[in-house]
Amino acid sequence: MKVARAIKINYTFEKFRITDVSKLVFKKNLFIVLKKLFLYTFIICMSYILLYPILFLISNALRAKEDLFDPSVIWIPKHITFKNFEYANMLLSYPLAIKNTLIILIPSVIIQTFICMMVGYGFARFRFAERELLFGILLFTIIVPMQTIIVPLYMKFRYFDFLYIGKLIGIFTGKPMTINLLDTPWPFYILNFFGMGIRSSLYIFVFRQFFRNMPVELEEAAKIDGCGPFSTFLRIMVPNATGAIITILLFTIVWHWNDYYVSAMFCNENLPVSVMLTALNNRMSMIQDAYGFSSDDIYLIGSNVLEAGCLMVILPLIIVYIIGQRYFTESIERTGIVG
Amino acid sequence: MQRTNLFKIFPKRKLTLRQKEALYGRLFILPWLIGLVIFFIIPFINSIYYTFHKIRLGDSGLEFEFIGWENYIYAFTKDPDYLKNLTSSITNMLYEVPIVIIFSVFVAYLLKDDFKGRTFARTIFFFPVIIASGVVITVLKENVLGSNTSSMVASSTTIFKAENLRAVMINAGVPRWFSMYIVDIVNKIFDLTWRSGVQILLILAALHNIPKSFYEVAIIEGATEWEKFWKITFPMISPTILVAVIYSIIDYFTDYGNQVMRMVVNQANNGKFEYSTTLAITYFLVVMIIILIVNRIIGKRVVYLT
Repeated sequence: MKVARAIKINYTFEKFRITDVSKLVFKKNLFIVLKKLFLYTFIICMSYILLYPILFLISNALRAKEDLFDPSVIWIPKHITFKNFEYANMLLSYPLAIKNTLIILIPSVIIQTFICMMVGYGFARFRFAERELLFGILLFTIIVPMQTIIVPLYMKFRYFDFLYIGKLIGIFTGKPMTINLLDTPWPFYILNFFGMGIRSSLYIFVFRQFFRNMPVELEEAAKIDGCGPFSTFLRIMVPNATGAIITILLFTIVWHWNDYYVSAMFCNENLPVSVMLTALNNRMSMIQDAYGFSSDDIYLIGSNVLEAGCLMVILPLIIVYIIGQRYFTESIERTGIVG
Repeated sequence: MQRTNLFKIFPKRKLTLRQKEALYGRLFILPWLIGLVIFFIIPFINSIYYTFHKIRLGDSGLEFEFIGWENYIYAFTKDPDYLKNLTSSITNMLYEVPIVIIFSVFVAYLLKDDFKGRTFARTIFFFPVIIASGVVITVLKENVLGSNTSSMVASSTTIFKAENLRAVMINAGVPRWFSMYIVDIVNKIFDLTWRSGVQILLILAALHNIPKSFYEVAIIEGATEWEKFWKITFPMISPTILVAVIYSIIDYFTDYGNQVMRMVVNQANNGKFEYSTTLAITYFLVVMIIILIVNRIIGKRVVYLT
């Protein structure tokens, strides 16, 4: 605003007239009110756009068959039922699918965040000859999606052989020793430990940018106090990167939960939730047998059951998100350097 | 008299500071480096190996027949869709990504300050992050945005369409190409809003990392809000903007809605794995070049504190 400038000018000429200041104060207040008005209008409009699909899902998932042909039903169904959720629960085999997802997700997320942070720090703070080249390769790995390398990867985990130790044994026994890791969570753990998990490269990139923005004084102080690079990292950098860590944790959880391409490749039996959801349409016959529906009924309620299933799949994420929201906001609040 | 140690093959050298630094840096990125070689480069080379072959399922597993550059020649000269889809997705990207970035910076700047209901607003704005990746969005697009005619529910795409706007603009004498462009953007508002959750988050985190003392100095020096934004905020968040731009480009190119990606997945599903890989690899080389150009252009203007 021009307030400060006007005051400054007046101050230099030592002609400090009250009217000028009051005019400016009024102008400033008007500006603030307009800004607030604009802000709230904007947020209300955006909320509608962003919440529309969810409201739509909820509204449709609660509908009974009678409401499907009723043109007067727009948002609030006349016959609210929870039957669709019941069917979806059975089709998804929900509790089991959630268990499978969590077995994969929790260790993966922790390993992935820590490893990405370490590698990002290595890229941000140390100079070595091949750094730029490796960083270019890292960018390349972000771009190449799993689809291009999924079949070789599949073969790798089907006949898993860590660092070719199996081949070495094979020289003596005549038959190379391999392990089948499919249908276990191990492919995910291994990929994440070696910084090649779902979108790992992106997280490394984000952490690198974050650490490059951290003031060097912290590390210099630690160095003088006799910290080695690893203890500096663990004691100084990690506590200071809380904001970035929580942000990335949220992302890792969300993407592991929503991923279905990789999971569908590596799991045949113990399917996670997202994969079950894709199969939901094909499994409709299950409720046909269990509840004695005709195929016309299935055709009618099919999309509603699918919508109920969608809600059930995102519900845990929403709960995690709402719980984590507070810490999340606080972590964003924290400025880079404290005290 | 000094005793020489005959058993010492490697004399103990003291590393210089620079060598030490390099050593530690390499140690820090070691896990990623191993993973890169085993789980990325080798599979990638295997994939490239596939593109020069015809793959058949024989009795003893996969059978490879060497056909040279055949797949590539087919993709660029005979395939009716590939080049068309490639150029159209690149041109679309060129105007969609800036809009997403400007929108995210704008929203992040709004959400930065304290106001009543900020927590609610933030919760709402990051909502797409949770849903927009994954299976659910596909279902949503089919059912909510109404491309699926088989669903019984009345489609509601009209809410986010701007047919009337086009009529108004053409009647007002706006050039046709320009009005088409504007209407196109308005039609995509829903999509773009849904795509900018992650970017908003990144930029918001960056905004909160700017030391407050900078602004205090600016106020004392008599800077206006406008100057504060362009001279402090924008330079300070420029590294994050670079990340956000690159993220948006990748997000756009690897989206399942992208025509080329859809071709890749379809070819793989039809069992033409070698051709699908060929498409994917050429496509991502093009994307890589675009990203390197963007990185070079923006990277020069990025301000780092250190």
